[in-house]
Formats: sequence, C-alpha cells, structure tokens
Amino acid sequence: MKRMLAVTLGILTAIGGFVDIGDLVANAVVGSRFGMSLAWVVIVGVIGICVFAEMSGRIAAVSQRPVFDLVRERLGPRTGLVNLVASFAVNLLTLAAEIGGAAVAFELVTGINYLLWVPLVALMAWLVMWRVKFESMERVFGLMGLALIVFAVALWKLGPSWGELAHQVVHPPSDEGVPTYLYYAIALLGAAMTPYEVFFFSSGGVEERWTRKDLATSRANVFVGFPLGGFLSLAIAACAATVFLPVKAVPESLAQVVLPVGLGLGTIGLIVVIIGVFAATFGATLETALSAGYSLSQYFGWQWGKFVRPLEAARFHATVLVSMILATALILTTIDPVMVTEYSLVFSAAALPLTYLPVLMIANDPDYMGDKVNGRMSNTLGTFYMILLIVVSIAAIPLMLATKAGQ
Amino acid sequence: MSALPESARVLHAHLHLMDRQVVREVDGRLLCKVDDLELADRANPYVKSILAGPLALGPRIGGWLGRLMVGATELLRPEEDPGPYRIRMHLVSNIGSAITVGGDPEPLALERWVRDHIIGPIPGSSGERPGKHSGERFDEHPAGHPGERPGKARPTHAGPTRLADIPDELRMSHLLDRVVIDPSGEVAGQVADVRLVQDGPLLGEATQALRVAGYIIAPSHTGQLFGYERARGGARPALVSAIIRRLHRNSVYATHEQLDPSTPDGPLKLRTPRDRLLSLTEL
Repeated sequence: MKRMLAVTLGILTAIGGFVDIGDLVANAVVGSRFGMSLAWVVIVGVIGICVFAEMSGRIAAVSQRPVFDLVRERLGPRTGLVNLVASFAVNLLTLAAEIGGAAVAFELVTGINYLLWVPLVALMAWLVMWRVKFESMERVFGLMGLALIVFAVALWKLGPSWGELAHQVVHPPSDEGVPTYLYYAIALLGAAMTPYEVFFFSSGGVEERWTRKDLATSRANVFVGFPLGGFLSLAIAACAATVFLPVKAVPESLAQVVLPVGLGLGTIGLIVVIIGVFAATFGATLETALSAGYSLSQYFGWQWGKFVRPLEAARFHATVLVSMILATALILTTIDPVMVTEYSLVFSAAALPLTYLPVLMIANDPDYMGDKVNGRMSNTLGTFYMILLIVVSIAAIPLMLATKAGQ
Repeated sequence: MSALPESARVLHAHLHLMDRQVVREVDGRLLCKVDDLELADRANPYVKSILAGPLALGPRIGGWLGRLMVGATELLRPEEDPGPYRIRMHLVSNIGSAITVGGDPEPLALERWVRDHIIGPIPGSSGERPGKHSGERFDEHPAGHPGERPGKARPTHAGPTRLADIPDELRMSHLLDRVVIDPSGEVAGQVADVRLVQDGPLLGEATQALRVAGYIIAPSHTGQLFGYERARGGARPALVSAIIRRLHRNSVYATHEQLDPSTPDGPLKLRTPRDRLLSLTEL
C-alpha cells in the first residue's frame, strides 16, 4: 500500500498533462474525427515526457534543484525570462480552463450554471494549496483521478470491433486534410509534454524531500504515472471513435465527452466518470497554480514550496494567490475553457525547447549529478526529442493559423 | 604571469556562480539567486560579494524591462541611494549545485514586505507547518535567531547588506559579454566567461578570495558556453556538445595580465595579440 501511495505524485502530474479539461475534450474530438490514427502521437508523447521527467526527477533527488532553477542557471536571465513569460502564460491560461472544467463537472451533477461554481472551486483550490500538506493533496486527487479508468471499462462494455480500431491506427480518415491532421498531432504532443508537468514533478520531488535514496521512487513515479496518463487519453479517444465516428458526430462539450461512458455503463458509470473528471480538472488546477508559483519563485531564487509555513515563503504564496485571482477573473468572462487551452499551445511553442534543453544539459553535468549523470540511452532519446520539440515549436503557430485551430 | 595549471580551486564565474541558487546554511532556506558578483581591487580584481535582488538583476536583463525593475525598486525603497542586496564571499561555505552561505543573512526587502503586508494577515499563514515529521534540514531555528522575529531587520555579522550602489566596472556582469579588441584595434571577440582561482587575498579568517585569473574570449555572437568546451570526459549528449564545440572552436584564453586593465569602460584591450593566446582546446 505504501509503495502504491508513493507514486501518486507521478499520477497527479500525468493526469494534469494528459487528461486535464483541454485534453479530455481534445482526445474525444481526435477520436471522433481521426479514429485511432493519432494513437502513435500519444505513445511518442508518453516516451518523451518519461525521458525528461525521469531526468528532472533524478536531478531533484540528487541535487535538490527543481527545473526552473536550472532554466535560469543554464540559460541566463534573459533567455530564462523568455521561457518564464511563456510558461507563466501557459500556466495561467490552463489554470483558468481547469477552474472552468471543475465547475462544469459540478454543473453536470447539479444542473446549476458553471459560472456560479467557479468562485467556489477557486476558493476550494486555494484553501487546499494554503493549508493541506503536499503529500495529502497529491494522494487524494491522484487516486480520485484514477476514476477515469472507467473510460477503459466503458470501452470494453461497448464492445467495439477491435479489428476496426486496430485498422484505424494506420489508416487516417481520407476526408480530413493533412494540415488538420498535423495540427492535432502537434496539439496532442504538446499536451503530453506540457512544461508545467516537469515543473510540478521536480518541485514535488523537492517538496517530498527526495534524496539519492529515493531515485527508485522517482523512477517508479515516472514509469507508472505517465504511461497511465497516456492510457487514459487513448481510452477516451477509443470511446469517441466507437460512439461518435460511425455517426460523424464531433463532441463539443464535457457532457458529450462522458456520453460513451453513460452508454456503456449507465448511471453508475456516469457518476464515476464525473468524479474522475472533477478530480482530474481540480488536480490540474492545483498543478498549474502551484507551477505558476514554482516557476516564478525559482527564476528569482525566492523561497518556495509547501514544505515551509506560508509566512516563510511569502512571495511564493502571493504569486499563487494572484494567479488564482487572475485565472478566476478570466474564466468569469464566460470565455470557453476548452478554447483557452487551445491558445496556450502558442506559448508552449516557446516554452517547450527552452525548458527541456537545460534539463538535458544539467542531467549531464557531474557538478550537479555526481555519478548519476545521464546514460547513453537517456542522451540519445533526449537529443531526439530536443530536435522533435524544436520542429514542433516552429510548426505549431503556422499550423494553428492555417487550420484555424483545427476546424 | 600566472602559471597554468593552478593548484588552487578553479571556478568559472558564469558557469559555476552566476544565476545559482543561494541557500542559508543554518536551515536550508532559499535566499536569492546569484544575480551578480561584486569585485574589489581594480588592478587585481577578486570576488568580494554576491549581489542579488532587482538592483542587481535589472541591469543584466537590460532594455526597458531591466530599467523598469531598477526604477521601480529605487522608487519604492526608503533609502536615499539604494544598492543591491549583498552577501560577503567569506560567508560562503560551499559552492555546488547551490551556493550555501553561513551567518544569518536576512531575507530580501520584497520578501519581508510581502510577508508583513499580504501573507501575514491571512489566517493560517503562521499555523502549524504542514508535515510535523519535517527533516532536520528545515528544523526550527536556533533560539534567538532573527528569522523568528519578522519585520525586525537588523545588521548581522554579515556586515551591512545594503550599501550605496556599486559602480558598473566592479560588477562581474560588466566583464562578461564585453567586447575584446586586439592591440591593433581589431575586434578579437567577447568575454564568454571569467576564470576564477581561489588564491586571492584572505577574506575573513580562513577563506581566500576568488581572484580573476583570466578570460575566455569567444568569437562574437557564438552564445553561451554551457561548460561543454571544458570537457572532462563523461557522457554528454553528443550532438549538443558537438554543436557548441564547433561554435567555439576559435575561442581563446587570456590571462588577466594579458589584458590592459586601464579600460573601465568600452572594449577591453589585449596586450598580447589574439593569435598568440592559448586556444581553449589547449587549456
């Protein structure tokens, strides 16, 4: 049991990356339009985030230095600032969307408009970050998020033609254009490797006071959490491919995303999936709000973290509080939460390479790592993904404009 | 002429000191970043203190944003002529993945202000620390530690942490990125890093200062070195390493004596022609 609880940080981090509000909808849209033909992107994304999360977890365990600390140290104040601005924008936009998403989960249960739930969700999230121990927080919301496994159960219950799903993997539908296909590929890869995952994961390692002795824990978190996130993401896409693709429907809201679960498992399934959606979006709220505080504090060298009293990390807690207020205000303008996450992709383009390059460099620096520097495998994969991320970051914005964000 | 190799500890200002996290030794609290370094003795410069805060970082960021940081700080600070936050080098007890400092340096002004005016008044801010089982690293302060009396700033044996502003030529950042010219007047490149050797004058009781021993001069606009040119074996991503080494194949090393010190502003002048300097690969 203790061993199982030790990997909740990885689970919570991965849920925030793979099945937060933007991705819940994006995965279902992809499944309903492209079938399983983008499944390979999720696999590529899972491997990529595993490679870099493993490095950043190892760095955190060996040197106690979280990722944004490294960004500033290796890239210097100016390039580091470019990354800080881009990452902070991603965090803030995503945070706003997640607050909206969690509020929509309440709307699905109560029928009361989500805007009325927004302030309540924001207040709850802030109270959790203000008072609740980091470990309790990650355990509660990490484990609750596992309820999303119900998508996989529903898929099995729906009894799709497995041969048809397998056929889709290598046959993209002919009625979708290549640019749209590529746009969704990049959006999925960007979601799998969002920078706030490594900010949160490595800072979480420091919050839990990992040392060299915890390298195995760090690794277990990476190799359980992220593949699980990828699995959930594929299950959602497969559900949509089974229910919506044959009738040429495209889900647009959260209510439609959870529909296949209702079809497969009835009311019980719907209850479980809404709990899962709430946990995932609320967990992602915590992840992005804390990441906003982590990245800003670590750039400037401020005391950060929940391992000290709020009084002793005043600027960090002030950053989290201000981010929560700004994000709540943004979502209260009735802006569509899902659309907000689409625009954050623009900022990810700058943040992705500038986040992972310093991680790759420090993971090779014996000053930091001693004998725990990267092996050949990590370096080969790391270099491959660096090239891939640079290509992605160059292609993201033109593709977004060309396809009008995939429409 | 200072001989190579030196027996004392060798560090590089950019690679090992600048932008590292500063940690308070007594309780592991994070204090600041090394936003800049203050030098002393213009003829034979050595590192005197760590500089931090917006007044140290602003000039390094530069542009309107840097000026805004400096301007806003100067406006809000009560002192007549405020200088950056500083920590004397003799308090530094370890230079590793973080810089550990002894003594009890107080937190920076902004942290104290936010603590007293925003976070402090919120209920629960000083409540039980989450996690009673917290490790020794973050345990209670020893009794009488000034950190337990928020708001009562007082000078510590670290020496006064705030003095009047520091002239540009005594800031490490002013040396880094400066253009270097040949005796003939032609541009030889720019300072990519400053080599420091720990054999300078005594600071405090037992620590010797990090003396400026020489400069790594890279062809202009080749970007940062990331330490890859000073390879000590070991695994590293071959491609990244190869690209950076290629960009820096023409980098050279000049000792402090090979540069004309009488140029506080403008380009640094070499006494020895560039092509007679040691190449980095020979270092």
